[in-house]
Amino acid sequence: MNVMGIIFANDGEIGELTNKRTTASVPFGGRYRQVDFHLANLTAAGVRHIGIISRHNYQSLMHHIGSGEEWGLELGEGGLEFLTPYSMSTTDNYRGKLETLYSAMDFLEFGPQDDYVIMTGSAIQSNMDMKKLLEAHVASGKDITVVTKAGIANGAKQLDLAVKLDAKGEIADMAVDYVAPEGYLASMDIFVLSKDWLIKQVKECVAHNLYHMDRDLVLGLWQKGQASVNVYQFTGVAMYNESVEEYFANSLALIDSEVYHNVFGGHHTIYTKVRDRVPSYYGEECEIDNCVVSDGCMLDGEVKNSVLFRQVTICAGAEVENCVIMNDSVVGEGAKLKNVILDKNVTVAPGAKLIGTKNNPIIIKRGESV
Amino acid sequence: MYFQKKRAIAMLLAGGQGSRLKVLTEKTAKPAVPFGGKYRIIDFPLSNCVNSGIDTVGILTQYQPLELNEYIGNGQPWGLNKTHSCAQVLPPYERHDKKSGWYKGTANAIYQNIDFIERFDPEYVVILSGDHIYKMDYAAMIDYHEKNNASCTIAVRTVPIEEASRFGILNTNPDNTIYEFEEKPKQPKSTNASMGIYVFNWSVLKDALINDEEDPDSSNDFGKNIIPTLLNAGHKMMAYNFDGYWKDVGTIDSLWEANMELLGKEPEFNIRGDERSKIYARNNALPSSYIDAKAKTANCFIAEGTEVYGTVKHSIISVGCSVGEGALVEDSVVMPGVVIESGAIVRHAILGENSKVCKNAVVGGAYGPTDKKKKISVTSKGAVVEANTVLLPGDML
Repeated sequence: MNVMGIIFANDGEIGELTNKRTTASVPFGGRYRQVDFHLANLTAAGVRHIGIISRHNYQSLMHHIGSGEEWGLELGEGGLEFLTPYSMSTTDNYRGKLETLYSAMDFLEFGPQDDYVIMTGSAIQSNMDMKKLLEAHVASGKDITVVTKAGIANGAKQLDLAVKLDAKGEIADMAVDYVAPEGYLASMDIFVLSKDWLIKQVKECVAHNLYHMDRDLVLGLWQKGQASVNVYQFTGVAMYNESVEEYFANSLALIDSEVYHNVFGGHHTIYTKVRDRVPSYYGEECEIDNCVVSDGCMLDGEVKNSVLFRQVTICAGAEVENCVIMNDSVVGEGAKLKNVILDKNVTVAPGAKLIGTKNNPIIIKRGESV
Repeated sequence: MYFQKKRAIAMLLAGGQGSRLKVLTEKTAKPAVPFGGKYRIIDFPLSNCVNSGIDTVGILTQYQPLELNEYIGNGQPWGLNKTHSCAQVLPPYERHDKKSGWYKGTANAIYQNIDFIERFDPEYVVILSGDHIYKMDYAAMIDYHEKNNASCTIAVRTVPIEEASRFGILNTNPDNTIYEFEEKPKQPKSTNASMGIYVFNWSVLKDALINDEEDPDSSNDFGKNIIPTLLNAGHKMMAYNFDGYWKDVGTIDSLWEANMELLGKEPEFNIRGDERSKIYARNNALPSSYIDAKAKTANCFIAEGTEVYGTVKHSIISVGCSVGEGALVEDSVVMPGVVIESGAIVRHAILGENSKVCKNAVVGGAYGPTDKKKKISVTSKGAVVEANTVLLPGDML
């Protein structure tokens, strides 16, 4: 049973963090990019043929993934393929995933050995056993499996695709772009389908001017009775990073022993690009409480309840609380930061004061000095 | 198969037992001993090679090679897996002419791999060992060797005169040519100690190795045989002065010291350095560390994948360890995968890979800064210090 993987790198936006990068290459969890979680989920299930569909801003993503050797994907055949607009048959004007898939038809049709396709977005992070998922899909005998998570629908968050099950576990309702009340299951933007069926449906949809994956393929075909849908409920931690607020809250949620172990110590190891930084140095006077800390940091100040990426410097007398600080950023002496996201390579001047709120953290853009 | 001609290749002697590291090298060759939180000793010479533009390294293994072989693998972490680069593990093998078997000495190990070296037709061969912690640009040494038109160049460093009789001492003329080599002299004439790093013209070394093998009385050793013989034959031999950090980590005490010398605001050995002198290591793919609210950390290195709930002071905590609530780790080297349970106290110790200190156990003792002789307690790979027990200062388990 061979499976190919497709990762959509551009879907969703996380405010300023995706101004110059794809959703897939947004740094998350101290040393990772979001795409690492998806590559790990797929490769741990034995998927060795993965396409990454990226429409724009993909330079940082390509730099991160390179030949894919960190994930064991630097293979002669199959392996990893970047599907960028220029490598596909048409231009950048895709209205939805179905058109994107249509223009990546060469990739889909190549490799007749693949029986199934697992498609995933890149905004929702998890450590998922996709072998189990695939087995569940095959056992269901349905056309599409939609992976869902309970407890996300809250009557306030708009869900791309929401499903409600009745007492017998049958689908009672399905809705797209819907502010679903509690009790609905939220799609994790992960689908399993047979490859032949997917190719057929993509061609059909595009021929009829339909392009929206959730609305036209899943909901549309289900409503018309042309597709049977299996709902798979994921029970582990699922982090929906679909806005700055969610990204910030989820980053800080990792600083909880239980969540940390579920995401990082779960089903499989998460690989990322190796940077060969030295271990982090904790200075004589530093005060580090409740933090996730990556390699290469120099810590002399006070840091509470924060996530530090690689090679971060916190100078003496600095106070950092509830912050996400990305690679190579420096917090100067005596600076005070609360509820702040520093993108990569930011310099905070000595004595500077940045105070955001939990729901509205201050974001300092990559490379800036404040 | 096509082999590109190389200006220089390196041969890394990694077969020694390292018996003075006692329980730490019972099941592991010395070059594979963990160092500095995420490295192994061999990462230093290997990374130096890569940073010096040497892309072909033969690694001679003999003693307990399993872990070392596994670690080196295809050489990918050091970028030595490309079309024209390699990290080739060279274990002893059986030859058609029976001139083979276990490596009898350092020179014999190279002799048995003449065929490997010949494939690259190198001008120069750099001989290295896997026993030392240092950063060095071998390319500068090769340039020096070439400029001086020497047959052999030996890296030297100045040691205190009272320690000189522990080393191979090179006596030199004012122009740095060597006129005499003395192995561990009782009455040293100079303080130029050999660092065991040699650059040879391959043609000269090859002849010397073949001749040395013919001599039944030779112990087939570079220091004892090859160097004195070449000197007596009138070859031009140069000393190359190196004054950077260099540490032989062949004993428990020196291994502990070298780890401690990474610490501090201005450490004796700054392992960070710049991009061009970066030390590469095989990566463990572990998540970022987790530092709990109850944790206290001061003057320490903590590598990735480690969880700290207790107190860590003046110590190296390697990848994938955990320090439990209320535990204290002070002045210690904690190797990868070690578990220190709650309430345990670890001081002046080296805890071997995957060893475990159970609840409320005590390992090692406290010393003041003026205490000269600190006895280091050591746990071997996978050892378990049972709950509520004591491992005395200087004891090994």
